[in-house]
Amino acid sequence: MAVAGASSWRSPKAVRWVLGRIGGAVFVLWAVATAIFFGIRLIPGDPAAAIMGGPGSQASAEALETARRDYGLDRPLVVQYLMLLGRLLRGDLGDSYSLKAPVARVLGELIPGTMLLAVLSLIVAWLLALGLATFSMLNGRIAATVASGLEIAAAAIPHFWLASVLIMLFSNALGWLPPVSTRTPAGLVLPVLTLALPLAGFLGQVMRDSMLQAMSGPFALAARARGESEAGLLARHALRHAALPGINLSGWAFGSLLSGAVVVESIFARPGLGRSLLSAVTVRDVPMVMGIALASALAYVLIMALSDLAERALDPSRSTA
Amino acid sequence: MPLSRPSLPSAALLAGTLSAMILLAGCSSAVPVAGLDAEPMSGGTLVYASGDAEPSCLDPHVGGNYPQALLAGQFLETLYTKDAEGKLVPWLAESADPSADGLSWTLKLRDGITFTDGTALDAAAVKANIEHLQDPETTSSTGYLAVKKIKSAKVIAPDTLELAMSAPDNALLESFSMPWVAIESPAGISRGKEENCSAPIGTGPFKVGSWTRQDSVALLRNDGYTRPVADPGHTGPAYLDGIAWKFIPETATRQAALQAGDVHIIDNPQPNAIAAADKSGMLDHLDAPRPGASNRIELNSSKAPFDDARVREAFIRAVNVKGGIDSLFFGTAQRSFSALSSIEPLGYSDAEEFVTDAQTAGRLLDEAGWVDRDAQGYRTKDGKRLSLTFPVSTNQSVPAEQSLFEQIQATAKDAGIEINLNLLDLSSWYGALAANDYNLVSAPYTKVGPGVLRILFHSDSTIPAPSGYFANLSQVKDKKLDALLDEAGTTNDPAKRMELYTKAQKLVLEGHYLLPLYDQQNHFLYSTKLVGVGATTAVSSPTFFDTRFTK
Repeated sequence: MAVAGASSWRSPKAVRWVLGRIGGAVFVLWAVATAIFFGIRLIPGDPAAAIMGGPGSQASAEALETARRDYGLDRPLVVQYLMLLGRLLRGDLGDSYSLKAPVARVLGELIPGTMLLAVLSLIVAWLLALGLATFSMLNGRIAATVASGLEIAAAAIPHFWLASVLIMLFSNALGWLPPVSTRTPAGLVLPVLTLALPLAGFLGQVMRDSMLQAMSGPFALAARARGESEAGLLARHALRHAALPGINLSGWAFGSLLSGAVVVESIFARPGLGRSLLSAVTVRDVPMVMGIALASALAYVLIMALSDLAERALDPSRSTA
Repeated sequence: MPLSRPSLPSAALLAGTLSAMILLAGCSSAVPVAGLDAEPMSGGTLVYASGDAEPSCLDPHVGGNYPQALLAGQFLETLYTKDAEGKLVPWLAESADPSADGLSWTLKLRDGITFTDGTALDAAAVKANIEHLQDPETTSSTGYLAVKKIKSAKVIAPDTLELAMSAPDNALLESFSMPWVAIESPAGISRGKEENCSAPIGTGPFKVGSWTRQDSVALLRNDGYTRPVADPGHTGPAYLDGIAWKFIPETATRQAALQAGDVHIIDNPQPNAIAAADKSGMLDHLDAPRPGASNRIELNSSKAPFDDARVREAFIRAVNVKGGIDSLFFGTAQRSFSALSSIEPLGYSDAEEFVTDAQTAGRLLDEAGWVDRDAQGYRTKDGKRLSLTFPVSTNQSVPAEQSLFEQIQATAKDAGIEINLNLLDLSSWYGALAANDYNLVSAPYTKVGPGVLRILFHSDSTIPAPSGYFANLSQVKDKKLDALLDEAGTTNDPAKRMELYTKAQKLVLEGHYLLPLYDQQNHFLYSTKLVGVGATTAVSSPTFFDTRFTK
């Protein structure tokens, strides 16, 4: 693995790569913060009313004034924006309007749950996709056609619908799994499946295509001529080829898992970033929306960097060193 | 390709078939139905699943909405409450007597009641609560309005408080029965807003153990509880060890969890689930309509075309509400012809004003000048279409209700009236109201007693609160009505009070300012393993003091 070698990290190219990544991340976070700050102000609704328990509250003028002062909403918009950037630079995400608690603390409670869900879903999706791709490679054309059909169907299933069907099937009809996410591993099965199945369909399509390419390439031909078995060829050669586009897509897939979490966490009543985002948007809780968006953006950037690294590790031709 | 993307109709069909199969399977499975012979036992943790929003603060003094009331009813108690007959009865209070001019009240408290932190409930504690509600820092809205007319409170004995009023208020005891004015431990309040929000300290049969955000609130039995609730089935502490109060926003998941036995009781079920449960006998159903106003559509009389009373009446005569309610609510909602909830003793009902009559509607529209029709069949006047804007809050309206609005839209079309339904999120919806950008609107409002009429129909309520919200959404400005409501709110004579409120409601109904639909829905479905559910508070939230599991 060329790039993982200790010496390569000290090379100027690697340093430039890391700095570039950090610069990119900072830019993304700034853009997200700016877009959300001004975007939310464009939507009708008084943030002070949101602080006072929703826009329909009949809060007194004094109470609203207090809220405006406490949260700095009485300042000009530009000042508020600069104050926000200043706070963000110090790592201060502010206080949630609706939860009356520091956003950073709330995020600390929510992030592990959503990350667990997303990472497990990604792993399960990978296993399903690889499994199906391998199976179809070893079992001829009909199997390939069936697998391809399954993948396309799975990729097209909306999360909401899939979750409802899984609940009806596994909770109500069979009684095997709880419909509500509990803190037990059993409670994770249905939410993870809901996120993993459509993703597996998508990843599977891509993986099988590159496996097919690898298995019909000149290297495979030569290996077969040397007497290599199909299974051995698949394990030693095609899997790596299939993994490359899979890894490449995993960054994107992770982003889609975070947005899928909005639906899945609501349906399965799981605490997490997605469900909080939904309620925070509904009540115009600006700091909360900002915090969740920044956390998601950061996770996305990190995963992209990781998948980039993994790709370089698997494919020496793209190595930095 | 052997499989293609499932089209939406076929997906819906599949989901429908599956749910029907499961319902049938549920009915045929041999789960024993708990009868009267089943033996009740003490202990166990009740799992409650709420579809209402998770409160941002468990102290109902802060803000003040229904989700807070539902939860607070388990661990806080009020000075007054309502008994099974709907009569106002003292609870934490012993008595409350107004002076002859109504400008002062003497409030006596019961002896021997302690908060779960061990401190005693006394006059000083109640005074501290009133001051907490009135403090702008508390950011109270509902509770603040309820105690607005209290000018000051004076402790004259450990168990006696004297309230000085800025104006007489004959709804004071009704206000004291609302959970947003429940009494908390002053020591708890003095911990500060953040801590008190996460675990308010009260005198109720349960106390707050812990709150896991977006998941559940753990309520533990108050072992020191001795005072019975309004209509007690027993004395002493509650039977249950505690309550796990879960938040499950998705209706289908809530119902699935109930059927799977993961939760014991749910609120906000869909009408078809209630109907199925009633029929199968697999679940018990508690119907507890909320007090105050009925669910209604309000007609904005402040601008065209509803500034013309004939157009308002024509609209009400044109639309068919009953058909929609019958088909969409499966017999779980009764049509209302009143501005008030059916559980309000002073509610006045008049079905005559709401008879659907296409001919009368047409005649009224002709008289009002809407005589021409455009290419789509809508009536026009001076080249302008008879078109109404109807913003609907998706956060406050169940799917069945949104379907009802669509049916109303369809029947209005037959009369040549166009209704533009706009589905909006809560903030945008409030935005539309504040901008006076609506002709029709349906908004919930819960308050105990007929005093809610003043909030909804007095011209004072057309003046927006600083947040931009005003409660008189039909924007009635009628001096005669104002005078009736003012007098009704201050008279000491119950018969006179009833007469005045009846006159006021007649004015509102005959003015065609609103189209009543049904009571504010408050349904609960629960496992037949539970007995003793159904004792409700003044705002129809369930209490679980008498609740037990059966063996």
